[in-house]
Amino acid sequence: MLLKIKNVRKTYRGPLRRGPVVRANDGITLDVDAGQVYGLLGHNGAGKTTLVNQVVGLLKPDAGSIELAGVDLVAHPGHARQVCSLQPQAQLPITGLKPRQAIDLIGGLRGARRQDVEARRDRLVEALDIGEWLETDGQKLSGGVKRLVSFAMAAVVPGRLVILDEPTNDVDPVRRRLLWDAVRSLADEGAAVLLVTHNVVEAERAVDRLAILDDGRVVAEGTPAQLKADLEHELRLDLSLEPGAAMPAAASFVLRFKPNGSRAQAIIDSGRAASAIAWAQDLRSRGVVGEFSLTPASLEDVYVELVSNTDRRPGAAPELGPGPSREASHAHAA
Amino acid sequence: MRTLRSFVLLTRWQVLRLQGMLPLAVVVQVLFAFGIVVGYPLLFPQIDQMTVLFLATGAPAITLITMGLVVLPQVVAQARTEGSLEYMRSLPVPRMLFLAADLTVWLAIVLPGVVFAVIIGAWAFDLTLSVSITIVPAVLLVAVTAAAIGYAMASVLPPMVAMLLTQALVFGVLIFSPINFPSERLPGWLQDIHAVLPVQAMAEVIRGSLASKAFPLTAGPFLLLGTWCLLALGLSYLALRRRA
Repeated sequence: MLLKIKNVRKTYRGPLRRGPVVRANDGITLDVDAGQVYGLLGHNGAGKTTLVNQVVGLLKPDAGSIELAGVDLVAHPGHARQVCSLQPQAQLPITGLKPRQAIDLIGGLRGARRQDVEARRDRLVEALDIGEWLETDGQKLSGGVKRLVSFAMAAVVPGRLVILDEPTNDVDPVRRRLLWDAVRSLADEGAAVLLVTHNVVEAERAVDRLAILDDGRVVAEGTPAQLKADLEHELRLDLSLEPGAAMPAAASFVLRFKPNGSRAQAIIDSGRAASAIAWAQDLRSRGVVGEFSLTPASLEDVYVELVSNTDRRPGAAPELGPGPSREASHAHAA
Repeated sequence: MRTLRSFVLLTRWQVLRLQGMLPLAVVVQVLFAFGIVVGYPLLFPQIDQMTVLFLATGAPAITLITMGLVVLPQVVAQARTEGSLEYMRSLPVPRMLFLAADLTVWLAIVLPGVVFAVIIGAWAFDLTLSVSITIVPAVLLVAVTAAAIGYAMASVLPPMVAMLLTQALVFGVLIFSPINFPSERLPGWLQDIHAVLPVQAMAEVIRGSLASKAFPLTAGPFLLLGTWCLLALGLSYLALRRRA
């Protein structure tokens, strides 16, 4: 394993060490291999960015260890910056800089030779299809192009570990695909890629392995297929009701029925697919349902299941207080 | 070699980031220096040769000190607010190069103002200056010390607090520091404080280097300033290395 994160804990306190203690990372353990795209999924505030900032040495863990190729990155943050390249979540203010200048300067600062930087920059610009903005002033770029430039800055001299924090935000659907291809190329060239996202649908297609973070803990870890294994025997029937139609009652073979406004979701056993379609078509012919779709369980279903099961006040990170300490529940799927 | 290249690239990065406002920044610095030399005399009903000499040699010191204690911390605080500082900190660049690159860029911006202030002062008040070679180390020592203090301040304090503190400092430096006037005019307790703070020594090394006949240079202010310089650089180093 190239990157080994073991039992990392990080708490935040309010200004002047007052205010509530926020447990941003609560014993996180995960391994990332070279050539692997590893997804770090979780809702806002789950502790994803805190974790990657500790890997690159911007933050220091309270406890736990982070090793890259056997080197302790917590003790050697200078080495961490040498071997890791980061695309931060925040949009980089590159006012005054043209994308070409920004990418080349970062490549140089990362220690590569000028000719190598320029050759690699050209390949990235072509792969991401951003050539037309190469000489545009940074302040005139759209959010999506800025994000792609920011990716190119991280990928131009990638280091052994590339950390991408929400790389697809603001990017148009066509270039999003180009971006995913470029991410895959980074891994194929031998880098480990740690990809932070809350876009589960995209992650399902792009990652080799993933960890789902919730309240600073890993609640599930494995390949997308492993995580979906529990739901493998289930199918999801989505129903869109016609305007004004009353919510139909669930058919007898439906395992779980979740009505939601003018939509409904029926989870069924995969053996009952034919019955489900017949039922949906009947509803449609009677003018109750407009559209329906039958799909296998997605990673998003797993994600929602896992994250909504946790006892959590909405929008709040957990506070340390008296009471029983919660054990990190690593639901390693088989 | 790698460090030198990083320094050049980092400086280039900062220059490009500032290029839109660069000419304006130089003009403002020139006007600032001009204002101190030409504007301050308006405060006095009668003006003698000594007062004028203090003003003309104080203006360069004030310009350099405000660059380090006010302008640089504001630049750093702004970079922290926009998140660009954190990004730059994720690059494999020795921490002190950030200070070196910013200092180089801003020194280039303020130096025309410094030179202009001296020339305008000498011309307007018909002064004969006796510039000594010590002006080079004096300017560098003042600039580096002020910048290092400013950098340490802006790296450790929350950006808003750092911004406010710079406002308080500019006030203290412009009005309550013996830069444009002899320290004997201050109350005794404030004189004692300024005897150990770096500001008075900053003014003295510049003044002594520009008008060495009227203000003979001694080693004292250089030593005090050198101590402050090392201390401030050490603090900056710790502040820049800090991981929250």
